Amino acid sequence: MKVSKTYPLKLNVNGEWKKAEVTPRETLLHVMRERLSHTEVKEGCGKGDCGACAVLLDGKPVNACLTLALQADGQRVVTLKGIGTPDKPHPLQESFIKKGAIQCGFCSAGMIVTAKGLLDKNPKPSREEIGKAISGNLCRCTGYKKIIEAIEEAALKLRRTKNDRR
Amino acid sequence: MEKSQYHAIGKTSIRKDGISKVTGHEIYTTDVVLPRMFHARVLRSSFPHATIKTIDTREAEKLGAVCITPRDVPNLRYAERIVTIPSKTFKDRQVLTHTPRHVGEAIAAVAAETEDLAEQALSLVRVEYERLPAVFDPFEAMKEGSPLLHRTILFGQDEIKVKNNIAASREIVEGDIEKGFKEAEIIFEETFETGRVYHAQMEPKSVVCQPEADGGITVWTTTQTIHNVRQLLGEIFNIPLSRVNVKKVALGGSFGSSIQMNSVVPIGVALALKARRPVKLVSSREEDMYDHCKYPSWIQLKLGAKRDGTLVAGHMKVIIDIGAHNTQAYPLLGCMAGWWVSLYRLPHLKFEGRAVYTNKVPACAMQGFGNPQVTFAVESMMDMLAERLEIDPIDLRLKNYVGLGETFWGQGPTVKSIIRSCGVEEMLRKGAELVGWKDKFKREKKEGVIRRGIGMARGFHTSGAGAPMAGEVIDYSGSIVKINEDGSVDFLTALMDLGGGTLDALAKIVAEELKVPLDKVGISPVDTRTTVYDVATHATRGIYCGGGALHKVTGQAKTKLLEFASRILQAPPHSLKMEVDEEAGQGMVYVDGVQGRRISVGEVAKTAQINNWGTIAAVDSLRQVSCPPCFMAYFIEVEVNTETGVIKPTKALAYADVGQVVNPDLARGQLFGGLYRGLGYALLEDTQYDEESGELTSGGWITDFKMLTANDLPEMDNIEVHFTDTYEPTGPFGAKGIGEAALNPVAAALANAVYNAIGVRFKKIPITPERVLEALKGMEKRND
Repeated sequence: MKVSKTYPLKLNVNGEWKKAEVTPRETLLHVMRERLSHTEVKEGCGKGDCGACAVLLDGKPVNACLTLALQADGQRVVTLKGIGTPDKPHPLQESFIKKGAIQCGFCSAGMIVTAKGLLDKNPKPSREEIGKAISGNLCRCTGYKKIIEAIEEAALKLRRTKNDRR
Repeated sequence: MEKSQYHAIGKTSIRKDGISKVTGHEIYTTDVVLPRMFHARVLRSSFPHATIKTIDTREAEKLGAVCITPRDVPNLRYAERIVTIPSKTFKDRQVLTHTPRHVGEAIAAVAAETEDLAEQALSLVRVEYERLPAVFDPFEAMKEGSPLLHRTILFGQDEIKVKNNIAASREIVEGDIEKGFKEAEIIFEETFETGRVYHAQMEPKSVVCQPEADGGITVWTTTQTIHNVRQLLGEIFNIPLSRVNVKKVALGGSFGSSIQMNSVVPIGVALALKARRPVKLVSSREEDMYDHCKYPSWIQLKLGAKRDGTLVAGHMKVIIDIGAHNTQAYPLLGCMAGWWVSLYRLPHLKFEGRAVYTNKVPACAMQGFGNPQVTFAVESMMDMLAERLEIDPIDLRLKNYVGLGETFWGQGPTVKSIIRSCGVEEMLRKGAELVGWKDKFKREKKEGVIRRGIGMARGFHTSGAGAPMAGEVIDYSGSIVKINEDGSVDFLTALMDLGGGTLDALAKIVAEELKVPLDKVGISPVDTRTTVYDVATHATRGIYCGGGALHKVTGQAKTKLLEFASRILQAPPHSLKMEVDEEAGQGMVYVDGVQGRRISVGEVAKTAQINNWGTIAAVDSLRQVSCPPCFMAYFIEVEVNTETGVIKPTKALAYADVGQVVNPDLARGQLFGGLYRGLGYALLEDTQYDEESGELTSGGWITDFKMLTANDLPEMDNIEVHFTDTYEPTGPFGAKGIGEAALNPVAAALANAVYNAIGVRFKKIPITPERVLEALKGMEKRND
C-alpha cells in the first residue's frame, strides 16, 4: 500500500493558528474541509472553474482547489466564517441577504470572499470592476444582478463607516 | 380580504436561511460528516456502449476497501423518477450495470477509510470490456439495423420490446387537422432545434448514507423530493419505509437535475449496507456532467391561419434525444403537447412525439420540462406569421392566446383545468408601452457593423400538476402546523427550497393566516419520518401546491385555536377576529366590537396546555384541482456585431403574472435568474460529443462547457421586471407559481430580436457567434 509522506503545516485560519499533517499533493481546499472542518469553503469543481472555494490567502482571493496546502504554510487564510458571524455580520454579508444576492447559497462563500478581497484593495469599485472581480465566481441561480448590487451597497456602507470614524 | 390588510404576504422580508448561508453555517449534503465514515468512488464506463466481461476487485479489497459490482446490488429495473403513476412508468435503470450505455455510467464502486485510499482502490479494480457499436444521433438511432441500447424495458409491470430505440411515443389529436388545414389561407412549416444544456447546479450530486442497527438506513442527499427518494430506496433494497429515513438538507441548486433520485444515491446505500459503515459519495464535477442534461429537441411545426391572423390548425412533430436512459420521457411528450396547445387556440391539432435512446448522458427535466423548447418554436413562428401577414406580432398574439375561462392543459392531456386568472393582455400592452415598442419595432434592413434589434416573446408555465381528475401524474402536498405555547408557530413540510425562497413564501402564508408576526413562524428541519408526503419541488408548484396545502392545514389549526379562544373569551368562535400585534410580537384574538375581550395566540395555547385541552396542531394533505398558468413575457433588445458574430443583449424587460406576489424581492430574483439561464440557453450553452470516444468535448470542465458570466448580461440598470395585477382565486392568498415561467420565453424573444437586427431567422439554438457569422456569410452569397 502506498502511503504518501506527510509534512507539518501551520496555517492562520481566521486569526487562529492551526496545525495539520498533510501530504505534498493535498490542496488547501482539501485541508480546509477535511482536516480542519471548515466546510464553509465549498467545492464546486475542484479545478479552478467555479470559484466556490475562494479564500483570502494573505489578503488575496485564491481558489483553494488550485493552491497546494504546503504553499500556504505559515500564511493567513480567511474564509467566509472569518469575515463575519451571525452575531456580527460584515456589511457584505448583510447586503447579500438584504439585496437577495443569495439563492441556493452554494456560491456565496466564494463570492463574498472574493468581494471582500476586492473591497479591501479597492473601496470604490466601478460596476465593471466588480463584474471583473467576480468573473471567476460562477452563480447559476441569481443572474448576478443582485450580487453586483449587494457588493456596491456594501462598498458604500464601508466607505461611510470609515468616513464616520475620521 | 383587501390586499392592503396583509401584513406578511407581498411584503419584503429577510429570507430565513439568509444569515446561515452568508456566514457559512448552512449544511449541504457535501458538508455532512459522520463518525467512522467511509469515502466512496465510482468506477464509470470509459466506453459509450459495452458489455462487461469481468470485473476483478481482489486487489482493491486487499487495501481494505469495500467493493460492489452489479452482482452485489439488487437485480431489478426501476425508474429514478416516480411521479408518474406506476402503470405509465417506463423502467430501464439499475444501480450498477453490466451493460454501460454511455461514457460515465456506473459499473462498480469502492469505499474506504480515506478519499486517498478509495482512489487507490478504484485504480486497482480491473474491468474487461467488450465494446459494442454505439449511436449518437437520434435519427440514426431510429433506423433499422442501428445498435439497440435496450432490448427490453419495463412498462409498469410488463416487459416490453424496444423497437428502433424508441423509448416512448405519443400521439395526441383534437379536431380534424385535414379539415383545419383546408380552412387555412396561409400554411407554413419550419423545423427548430434546441441544445443539450448541462444544468451546472453549483453543488455536485452527492449522498451520505448511514446504515442503522435495525437494518434501516438514514440518507442525506441532493434532492428535490425526500419522499420519492425514500420510496424508491425502500423498493430497491426491500426495506420497510419506516426504516428508510431521508433527511432534508440545503440543496446547492438543482434546476431539475435532482428531480429524480440521483444515480449516486443507491450506490452510496449499497456500499453502506455492505460496509456496515456510513459512506459518503460526492460526485466530481466531471462525473456530474456525465450524469444529466436538458432534453434537446427537434420540433417540426406546421401552422395554418386565416388572413386575419386567426390560427386554425397545427401539426407538431417532436423528436427528443433522451440519451441512454428514460428518466421521464413519456410525460415529457405529453407536456410538450400541452405547452403547445395552451399557448394559442388551435381548433384542429395533431401532436406526434418520439423519445429516442442514444449512447449519451441521460437527459432529465431542466427548468421548463419541454416548455422552453416548444415556446422557442411557437414564438418564433408567431413572429414569422405576423411578418407574412404584415401585422404587429403583439396584435397577432393578443388575437390567439389561450386566456381567461379557456381550457388549459399545460401538464399534458390528463391534467386539464380552466384558467381563472390571466394577465396576458396587461403584460403585452403595458410591456410594449414601457419599452417603446411602437417606435423601436420596425421591419427594416439595418446597416453598419453593429446592428440593433428588438424582439419579444410570451409564454407561461403551470403552477403544479393538479387537476379535477387524477390523471397520470401524482401531485399533492401535505403539512403539519403546530402553535406553540408562546404564540410562535412551527410548520413541517417535506417541500424543498431549491434556492428560490419557496419556504419563505410558505412561512408568510402561515403568518398571514394566523395573523402572527413573520419572525414567529419557524421552518422546522425535517425528514421523511417527521413529514407527510409531498411529491416534489418541481413543475413550479412550490407556492401554489405546497403553499396551498399549508394554507389548508393552517386553517385547520386556526379553527382549533379559535375554539379554545372562544372558551376563554366566552364568545362563539364565529364572533372572533384576529389581527397581528407587531409590538407585542403576537397574533391577537378578539371579540369584534366588545372591549376587553382580547387575548394573544400565545395565551390561548398556554391556557390550553395548563387546562390540559391539548396542543393546537393539524396535519393534512391537499391536491390542487387546478394548475393555473403563470404567464410571462419578455422584451429583449440586442446588438449584433456583424464582424465578430457576437450578440450582446443590451436591455430586457420581464413582465410576469404570478397572481398575488408573495415574496416581492425573491420573485424579482427568480426573474433575473430565469433571464440569465434563458440567455445562456439561447446564446451559448450546449454539450457536444466526440463520436469516436463517446466523450463530452468539454471533458467535464465547466470552462469548456461555457456559461455566461456577470459581464455577458445587459447592464443591470437595463433589466426591468414588472408584475401584473392579478389574483388567482384557487391559490393561497391569490398566488400562483413563477420559477420555470421565468425562463421559458427568453430564447424566442432573443431570437426574434436577432432577426429584427440582422434579418437572419435562427431556428437552432444556441445562436453562437460562429453560427451568426456563417448565416451572415450565407446571406451575402445569396445577395451576390
